[in-house]
Amino acid sequence: MTTKRYVGSLLIGVLVGLATGVYLGWEQFPVQYTNSSLAALAPRAQEEYTVMVAEGYQYDQDITAAVARLQPLNKDNVFDYIQELTERFIAQSNVPYIPVMVALAEAVGRLTPIMEIYRSTPAPTPSSPVNP
Amino acid sequence: MSSNRHLRSGTGLSWFALILGVGLGITAGLIYTWQIDPVVERNTAPWQLSSAGQEDYVVAVALSYAYNHDLPQAFNRLRALRPNQNVWDLVATVACDRVKTGKTVTNSDIRVIRALEQLYRPQGASGCADGLYPTPVPLAFATPIPTSTPTSTLPPPLTKTPTPPLPTSTPFQAAVPTTTPPSGSFVLARLESFCDPTVPGVIEVRVYDRQGQGVPGVPVQVTWSGDQRDTFFTGLKPEREMGYADFEMTPGRSYSVSIPGLTSRTPVVNAEPCQATVDGETVSTTTSYWINFQQQTG
Repeated sequence: MTTKRYVGSLLIGVLVGLATGVYLGWEQFPVQYTNSSLAALAPRAQEEYTVMVAEGYQYDQDITAAVARLQPLNKDNVFDYIQELTERFIAQSNVPYIPVMVALAEAVGRLTPIMEIYRSTPAPTPSSPVNP
Repeated sequence: MSSNRHLRSGTGLSWFALILGVGLGITAGLIYTWQIDPVVERNTAPWQLSSAGQEDYVVAVALSYAYNHDLPQAFNRLRALRPNQNVWDLVATVACDRVKTGKTVTNSDIRVIRALEQLYRPQGASGCADGLYPTPVPLAFATPIPTSTPTSTLPPPLTKTPTPPLPTSTPFQAAVPTTTPPSGSFVLARLESFCDPTVPGVIEVRVYDRQGQGVPGVPVQVTWSGDQRDTFFTGLKPEREMGYADFEMTPGRSYSVSIPGLTSRTPVVNAEPCQATVDGETVSTTTSYWINFQQQTG
């Protein structure tokens, strides 16, 4: 009888302890990574990083380097990602970021109709025929 | 009685066993959640990045600052990396590390170093990259003139100029607006290798207009290893020639060289070893090349 109570108390204690330990380990004091890659950045930080790369492209006009700087984000398709983020900024009226992102999207060949009006250099319109 | 000292008859629980169980359970729970199945890594903050990730982030901040010159914004972005430390020292360290690790090969690399320096030096930080790649003074010919027409590259008639023509070798020629890169098509006019230990593995590019005058400001793109490329401009060494630019190759690699409007084949050169004779001695070095592009007439 004594042993049964002892084992029963131990089991109850283990269960309570496990629940507490899991709660502490996952919720209160989760593992904090300190050697992370850019791909693990929070989505908002990734977007900010992408905007910085787009602004950097405005500075150096080196699209190869800009795309290379986005590679560590480990996106399935960097061009898709640029287009999607640019269109999202437009949909959210995130005005400060739109022009540089549109320029980056255009540089990678992903200028969509919704982006047209945000281009810094509008596309030339066909000139009217000149009468001799 | 001694064996029952941990039993409490009222509840039927052994407090000793209960506390022991809780301790074991917490230990097991933490081992599981910290070691075996930790939280999935997400929502990482910039300060948690690896050194490589932090370097990428700092470079992005510096290039962004070089574009918008928004210092508070750059500061806040860097603070996300180093919440309680001097962020400008971090930028200087990144620049220094990039120089030490040889990330100064391409024009893009050098622009990065300049952007980093442009960010940290005015804030009082310093590092081993200070002044290594000063920002060049803007040259007049680097600014395209939107209203220019293809015929604007023709020299003006002498009768329009009351003063004698300037010698072609004077530096003032660099500021003559008619040196805007022509938009016409170019052909490969010369591709020749040479072996000179004083200029090992160098591609010397010269771009000439229809009149045979060197054309500054023409972007020359070299591509190697399939997707690696670099762009440099003619005219940055006016002491050589106005249409001159050069590029240092890495031994063993192949490079294709192109300029906008090139209608002929793109020349491909190999940085292969060669032997030259200097003062009667045979010296091993890397093959260099002369590549001339000529604007087509008509």
